[in-house]
Amino acid sequence: MPWDLIFFYIIGAISVLAALGMVASPNPIHSGILLVVCFLNVAGIFVMLGAEFLAIVQVIVYTGAILVLLLFVLMLVDPHELPSFYLAQPLQRGVGVLLGLILLLEIGAAIVTQTQFGPKGNATPANIAAMGGNVQALGSVLQTNYLLAFEVVSLVLITGIIGAIVLAVPERLGQRIGTLRSTISLGHPRGLDHPAALMAGPRNETPIVTKERKAPEPAAVRRLVMAKDPDDFTSV
Amino acid sequence: MAQEPMWLTFIVAFIIMNVLLVGMAYTTWYERKVLAAMQDRLGPTRSGPHGLLQPLADAVKLLGKEDLIPAGADRVLFFFAPLVVFVAALVSVAVIPFGGTVQIGGRAVNLYATDLNVGALFVLAIGSAGVYGIIVGAWASANRYSLLGGLRAAAQVISYELVLGLSLVGIFIITGSLSLREIMEQQQRSIEIGPLHISNWFILSQPLAFVLFLIAAVAETNRAPFDLPEAETELVSGFHTEYSAFRFSFYFLGEYINMLVVSLFASTLFLGGPSGPGSEKYWGLGLVWLFIKVAVFMFFYIWLRATLPRFRFDQLMGVAWKVLLPLALLNIVITAFIRLIANGQIF
Repeated sequence: MPWDLIFFYIIGAISVLAALGMVASPNPIHSGILLVVCFLNVAGIFVMLGAEFLAIVQVIVYTGAILVLLLFVLMLVDPHELPSFYLAQPLQRGVGVLLGLILLLEIGAAIVTQTQFGPKGNATPANIAAMGGNVQALGSVLQTNYLLAFEVVSLVLITGIIGAIVLAVPERLGQRIGTLRSTISLGHPRGLDHPAALMAGPRNETPIVTKERKAPEPAAVRRLVMAKDPDDFTSV
Repeated sequence: MAQEPMWLTFIVAFIIMNVLLVGMAYTTWYERKVLAAMQDRLGPTRSGPHGLLQPLADAVKLLGKEDLIPAGADRVLFFFAPLVVFVAALVSVAVIPFGGTVQIGGRAVNLYATDLNVGALFVLAIGSAGVYGIIVGAWASANRYSLLGGLRAAAQVISYELVLGLSLVGIFIITGSLSLREIMEQQQRSIEIGPLHISNWFILSQPLAFVLFLIAAVAETNRAPFDLPEAETELVSGFHTEYSAFRFSFYFLGEYINMLVVSLFASTLFLGGPSGPGSEKYWGLGLVWLFIKVAVFMFFYIWLRATLPRFRFDQLMGVAWKVLLPLALLNIVITAFIRLIANGQIF
């Protein structure tokens, strides 16, 4: 038996087992780590197929960035507070099974077309080797035939990034700075000592200021001199 | 590239790995001696002449320590995490060329384990996989200080990996290749200006990229002044607080091997690898040049540790995203323009 076949069986078995373990594991962090194992082994299979660039991108993008962020979030959450995946609604289960079947069909279709009709266009192994390798071949195709799709994808990604920033900023920045600047104590982030806050009345938390207490005279309100604005610390 | 039998590749890989491990041991000695000299001390002197046997004594000491596992730890992950750091650090040296193809005893021998056509990206990819050893180990310890250190490591490595990768794009544009052997060979040609023959090292054509690479590499290997994941003043000792004995030493080994690999990587990319006076005739001289370059980079690492205080975490992230990343992008744009002008495709 040739060596590459033996290696393929080992790597393939590990990746399938890791994928099964990822679905079955009750601990979300274990699931995440098993997904990393699965991805690394799939990258190994890509290398054996001669697609080194795909393998490296898989490792850098998926295991090196996306899954690190996923584990990052999971580690900060108490695992007992996470919803259980085993008590999903029938609708969710149905959709999951349906999506899985569609994916399976797509992969099957790809395999059938590949074996029946060969690779699309002139992307044969000999042509790719003549261009200098996968990286060169992929780059020239992306920048010529698929340039529009490439640019649209970058636009979608940048929209996603900006959307994430907009969602992550809790309130209007100017408003926040204004509140901080007019407060005496940074321990009262909403400025409970400030006349405007007293006029507005209590918000969600138990008010420290009772109704009997009068608002301080405007002249008595000191500007903040003892501490810097938190935003000043974060600028480089 | 000369095709060579598999057993020869195995022998070369075996030698490279062992040289790296011994080099790692003596890096610790080098660091202690240089730090001592900078702080007006003597450093290790007791074991062997000039303390040269100190790494051996340290290894014996670490092996003899008690191996502790915290009660609440995730035992399996706690066991495997240090190995991930160690193995990831070792694997990436496989693509680094120590020279071209040379004749030894009438046989053509490649002085590298493998020549992947995406070699430069391979080093980055393995580096990004190595961070799992830190964050998984930190989580498995069931310790808040460890977890905080691990989270810092994750954020830091993701940010600086971007800078590291983008700083290399200029070189890829110049060489048109991602293979480290090809990048090394292109630097062996010399530029002739009148009577002067200057080596075509990429530090000359990509000075900005070199500076960015150096800064990002220090952050990527979690060394001072970017050693926030193990900041002892805030986090006891960060992600390896709960690790002891040989498990701890795997983290330690991984960090030093990473430093060596990054130094080798930087020498190959920016300083022409083994190129230097006489290296075309005698490949042994090339190895000496490479050794000197790596020693200079290691000295730089230790120098930083001895001089600079640690960054604050928000400063660290701010520098990466607001200063280094735009500069790296600027470098790419400028290099691409110059390349187009040189090719005569514009203007």
